[in-house]
Amino acid sequence: MDTTTLLTRRHFFGVHAFGLGTAALASLLTGELDASATGALPGLPHFAPKAKRVIYLFQSGGPSQMELFDYKPKLKDYAGTELPESIRNGQRLTGMSASQSTFPVVPSRFEFAQYGESGAWVSELLPYTAKIADQLTFIRSMNTDAINHDPAVTFLQTGSQIAGRPSIGSWLVYGLGSETQDLPGFVVMISPGSGGGGQPLYDRLWGSGFLPTKYQGVKFRSVGDPVLYLSNPAGFTHQDRRTYLDALGKLNQLALDDYGDPEIGTRISQYEMAFRMQSSVPELTDLSKEPAQTFEMYGADARKPGTYAANCLLARRLAERGVRFIQLFHRDWDHHGNLPKDLPKRCKETDQASAALVMDLKQRGLLDETLVVWGGEFGRTVYCQGRLTAEDYGRDHHPRCFTVWMAGGGIKPGIVMGETDDYGYNITQGPVHVHDLQATILQCLGIDHTRLTYKYQGRHFRLTDVHGNVVRQLLA
Amino acid sequence: MRFGYTIVFLLLTSICRAAEPGAIQFNRDVRPILSDKCYACHGPDPAQRKTKFRFDQEDGAKSVIVAGDAAASKLIQRITSDDPATRMPPAYEGRDKLSPGEIETLRRWVEQGAKWEAHWSFIAPKRPELPSIKDRSWPSNPIDSFVLARLEREGLHPSLEADRRTLIRRVSLDLTGLPPTPAEVDAFLGDASPDAWEHVVDRLLASPRYAERMATRWLDAARYSDTNGYQSDGERSMWRWRDWVIDAFDRNMPFDQFTIEQIAGDLLPNATASQKIATGFHRNHRTNGEGGIVPEEFRVEYVADRVETTSIVWLGLTMGCARCHDHKYDPIKQRDFYRMFAFFNSVPEKGLVYNFGNDEPMMKAPTPEQSSKLAELDAKLRDAEKSYYALEPSIDQDQAKWERRAAHKKKLDWSPHDGLVVDRPQPVDFDGETFVDVGDVANFDYLEPFTLAAYIHPSSPDGAILTRVEDYFEGEGYGLYLINGEVRLHIIKRWTDIGLRVETENPIPLNEWNHVSATYDGYRYASGVRIYVNGQPQKLKVLFDDLNYPLGAKDPFRIGGGGGPKLRFQGSIRGVEVFKRALSEAEAAILALNQTIGQLAAIPPEQRTKPQSDKLALCFLDRFASKKVRAARQQMFDARAERKRYYEAIPTVMVMQDTPTPRDTFILKRGAYDNRGEQVGPGVPGFLPPFQTEWPNNRLGLARWLVSPANPLTARVIVNRFWQMYFGTGLVKTIEDFGSQGEASSHPELLDWLATEFVESGWDMKAIQKAIVLSSTYRQSSKVTHELWQLDPENRLLARGPRFRLSPEMIRDQALAVSGLLVEKAGGPSVKPYQPPGLWQELAGGSGYVQDHGSALYRRSLYTYWKRTVAPPSMVNFDASTRETCTVREVRTNTPLQALDLMNDVAYVEAARKLAERLLTEGGNTPIERLTYAYRLVLARAPKPAEEKILLATLDEFRKRYAGDLASAEKLVAEGESPHNPKLNILELAVYTSAASLLLNLDETITKE
Repeated sequence: MDTTTLLTRRHFFGVHAFGLGTAALASLLTGELDASATGALPGLPHFAPKAKRVIYLFQSGGPSQMELFDYKPKLKDYAGTELPESIRNGQRLTGMSASQSTFPVVPSRFEFAQYGESGAWVSELLPYTAKIADQLTFIRSMNTDAINHDPAVTFLQTGSQIAGRPSIGSWLVYGLGSETQDLPGFVVMISPGSGGGGQPLYDRLWGSGFLPTKYQGVKFRSVGDPVLYLSNPAGFTHQDRRTYLDALGKLNQLALDDYGDPEIGTRISQYEMAFRMQSSVPELTDLSKEPAQTFEMYGADARKPGTYAANCLLARRLAERGVRFIQLFHRDWDHHGNLPKDLPKRCKETDQASAALVMDLKQRGLLDETLVVWGGEFGRTVYCQGRLTAEDYGRDHHPRCFTVWMAGGGIKPGIVMGETDDYGYNITQGPVHVHDLQATILQCLGIDHTRLTYKYQGRHFRLTDVHGNVVRQLLA
Repeated sequence: MRFGYTIVFLLLTSICRAAEPGAIQFNRDVRPILSDKCYACHGPDPAQRKTKFRFDQEDGAKSVIVAGDAAASKLIQRITSDDPATRMPPAYEGRDKLSPGEIETLRRWVEQGAKWEAHWSFIAPKRPELPSIKDRSWPSNPIDSFVLARLEREGLHPSLEADRRTLIRRVSLDLTGLPPTPAEVDAFLGDASPDAWEHVVDRLLASPRYAERMATRWLDAARYSDTNGYQSDGERSMWRWRDWVIDAFDRNMPFDQFTIEQIAGDLLPNATASQKIATGFHRNHRTNGEGGIVPEEFRVEYVADRVETTSIVWLGLTMGCARCHDHKYDPIKQRDFYRMFAFFNSVPEKGLVYNFGNDEPMMKAPTPEQSSKLAELDAKLRDAEKSYYALEPSIDQDQAKWERRAAHKKKLDWSPHDGLVVDRPQPVDFDGETFVDVGDVANFDYLEPFTLAAYIHPSSPDGAILTRVEDYFEGEGYGLYLINGEVRLHIIKRWTDIGLRVETENPIPLNEWNHVSATYDGYRYASGVRIYVNGQPQKLKVLFDDLNYPLGAKDPFRIGGGGGPKLRFQGSIRGVEVFKRALSEAEAAILALNQTIGQLAAIPPEQRTKPQSDKLALCFLDRFASKKVRAARQQMFDARAERKRYYEAIPTVMVMQDTPTPRDTFILKRGAYDNRGEQVGPGVPGFLPPFQTEWPNNRLGLARWLVSPANPLTARVIVNRFWQMYFGTGLVKTIEDFGSQGEASSHPELLDWLATEFVESGWDMKAIQKAIVLSSTYRQSSKVTHELWQLDPENRLLARGPRFRLSPEMIRDQALAVSGLLVEKAGGPSVKPYQPPGLWQELAGGSGYVQDHGSALYRRSLYTYWKRTVAPPSMVNFDASTRETCTVREVRTNTPLQALDLMNDVAYVEAARKLAERLLTEGGNTPIERLTYAYRLVLARAPKPAEEKILLATLDEFRKRYAGDLASAEKLVAEGESPHNPKLNILELAVYTSAASLLLNLDETITKE
């Protein structure tokens, strides 16, 4: 293995990166083999980063800010009254509720209280999150351009509603490289809501768009191989694979000697990394050595592979191992109807583990260097969608305001940013657009969002398109 | 990134200038710098221009230049200034200073007189003279002269020709996507004729595999897929278009025709079915079926996609950049984008599409086999009809006789009964609070036809008659209602946006008995609904017409209720009949007749109304006609049903179509669908050759413009993509961008020669590719010295043959081919080979991917089912495009996931085992013979001694290992669904399976050498 590495390096040095694109150029300049294993772009980070990595807890479907974070006491008085046109103010609605004959205001059925020194209002549905309020920064003034799931999630993940751009994790690994030789730099984990349904997700959400595919997120799965094709075939052991790779390496080395193409050397090293992943990934996903205390903290669900809690625990383990961008998706927050019954289930599935992850990182001294983000793709309407009854109501998609919280690396803890009107419909103070959030995340990682670009189709593309302002008041 | 680009650029230009020190060429050297570093603010987009200075035009640039005097030129002063306040590009906007190399280039350009050139790609190519070269023995055709001239300028020599084994593998993979068989290799080696190479090339070009290979890349450009691509990513069926593409390549359809038929085949005079199917090209874009979207927002998106795709595929222009504002680098105005948009804007399509199959406009697209089968069924139906109608005179006589008898049986009655699922003749009174719960019957879904009928005696203008719907007004389900006295049919999934609502124009009278019925044909459109009052078809109003989703309601069938307490029926209902089919108009009228058969028969024939006669006739034919008549009638019905069943199973394909009146097109400010500006008509950008007056101002004219010889871009763009297929990189590396930000051609004259040759040959795609592979340039060895690699790692100078990793499709197809698993069957619906279980469910729930079995596992990869939101992982791992948007650039990465895939994916483990079986059964008796055979199969060559040594040792190691653990050996050879050869020794099979897998994983195996 060492000879391989040396030979490959020898081939790489003194060679510019015509054939390999700028990524390989970057790895060349840092003297490394491959940018997916390591190697930031030259000049990156642009300035001293506060965070080395991100754990993004994506709550897919659009969690209702009305029931969780954006406390609106006056709604009790407005209950059942028609949403005033002065509030809706021409807002376009989705086809699901635009032709409703009535838009009755419905207050949260769940109680709120203030927590921590910041006095942040948090719903009774999130008792664990409430307890760590002072570790978190709530942005109640998030807003987006999209009103439907696919464009909205794509917008948050890639900065564009239309498919084809790299996801935020891909941008980060492309720009900053990875800190691990044994694991991918960008890992994605998905958990369904207990109902099993929810809005679908799409590979493009962690895709690399026009960046080379090696920057795409790698899905860690709870069924079958944690990473696709990780396991050797039946009847083929780890030792067999070693025997096999020794022979393969020698044969490829002969070809390298013959053809002189350094790409062959890269191939040899990629096979070796695959071999290392065959050990490092099972080791990572094996939770048997975690003490009982861990499971008390994350909740019993953390013992069940594929749950949000188990994924939160894995996220911490990935963070410990230097994975750059870790993204969880929890599905089924799309509560058009049945909200009073279904929303508490999603909260129960996620609340304890989300809070545990933050505190676990803190205890391990990792929170300072890990940025944790919690949020969905948009908020929900103050008016009821569908049938409003004594027991039941639903809320449609709402792009004008929603709540995201952040914690850890680079973020000032214990503040509540932004305000909305008495209906929780419009932002009245401190709007944070999706592009601003993206710019701020990059900022925490030492990246000027206007300068992390990639030329494609003649244009220098960036995550924030031509928009985005870093939200300085969130920064520590 | 910008830094990286600069270095690459400087190295290229330094190579270029090696032989001519100091000679700066504007297009090659200067424009790229101005474009990339200056045009964003000093370019074509007036909204972005911060000063009067624009450098995309000669006048503007010259206003800051003193030709011949760099020091006096403001341009040079500003870019070299040390003062951050004046230095350009401006530091205060976070822009980096130009590199010393860039500054030097600009300085020298000014010193040399600042000669300006129009952008090369916007000027039509002229056929260049062949350059003079020193080594006249090397060129095989003009391509080589251009390449050699360049090499000689650089002081380089071409590489030696590759050996024949390498060459035949290279060209077989390139032209067919599959490796040569040992017999094909031997035939080439044994062919001493001077045109042996040409024989091989001709054989490959004539192979049907060539068409499959070519189609694969075209599918990427066309963003072809089996699913819609947004959100729940429903299924569509475009494979008839895909097969059209394969067929077109197979017949070597000239590229101009290939273009015209795909862009505008429907608009050709007397367009054939095939020409209409071709237009599926522009229905391949993603479509959105997510409930709740604003349809117009996405309809606009589809049209924009067509503009962007057309622009990239044919023009090599990034017109998409001009969607929101004038292009920042190229002279494409926002107006130009929307004029192009207007060509594609009149398709009668919906923004919110159907998610369970194709959506309008679409057509039935039978395969040739299906067409002949259909003709057969038509003939069969005609025969059955003929036989039946031949009996008519006797039927009339028999019926008259029967009627005379029936007239005495007053109580004899009959009614349509086929498909009757609810039959409640007795009257029930309703007081506005009660209803009848009939239970779990008549559970029709949105694609099932049905008929609802009853006599009603309402005392209130509002009330539910027959329903299966949730019990509130906007609930889910279907129902026949009286609303404001009008008869209404609802089929509702979600009240606000998914459903169908139709009502009669006129109310019916209250407080008397009337018969009402409604039929629905099961095709999900309001046009398939009929409502009858007393058997009379009613004029209808369509209130809502967007039924596109299965119904899920579980409420029981109710009479007089459903749809909420306010809609309880008041009055009486009797004679409830529900059918699981749509009754004909005649049948609907029969239902409303009060008289029995006996009573009707007593009426003299000339006094009967049409429904009365119909009822008698249908009753007679159903019950009382002779056995012979009834059998003939049944045969006719059966033939009709059989034809219908067959017809309905025939695939459809979505196609282009224009509404009779074109839809108005507006410039959309900032690209937003709801922000309309000035109205524009169809047209092409002003800086390109104009539309000829004889062309229609529609898609057909656009297609003719694209392939007119005056168009400076199309031919260049297409031959450049062919070049990429053979050499890994285009002569213009920026395959999708021939604009100002694109990279200049490494061999401008060669590109122009190829482009003009292509057009002059009649756009002959096979001929131009044949010229490429017959060239000496293509036939060079791909081995590279360290020095040459250092000088030209990407092989832009072409001093050696191409060497790069195979495409994902080739990697899999090759493994299937060499293992003997490949099933070569052309076309047909997409297939679902192996895929790790659960991939679809974990993202979207549902039943997930249902893998095929048997031969479908082993088809060529271009037939693999493509789900855009969860694309086949073994394709994506090897850099397949995701088919979400048009992709023309070939990308190759080298990752550990690829290694895991090739080593562990059951598809490759099985291929290794089948290859091992071949080695053991066909490969001779000794390990050396078998390894030799393996190398010949996979690499078209024999192993070298050093390779033999390594592999023999590996065989020994695995033999030792599996000899002690036969259970493992058995497990290994059991991978994959194809059975293993039972005659073979399990131990040996496992050992050779391991070795065969090694072979399939060799860098050389997945590389075109």
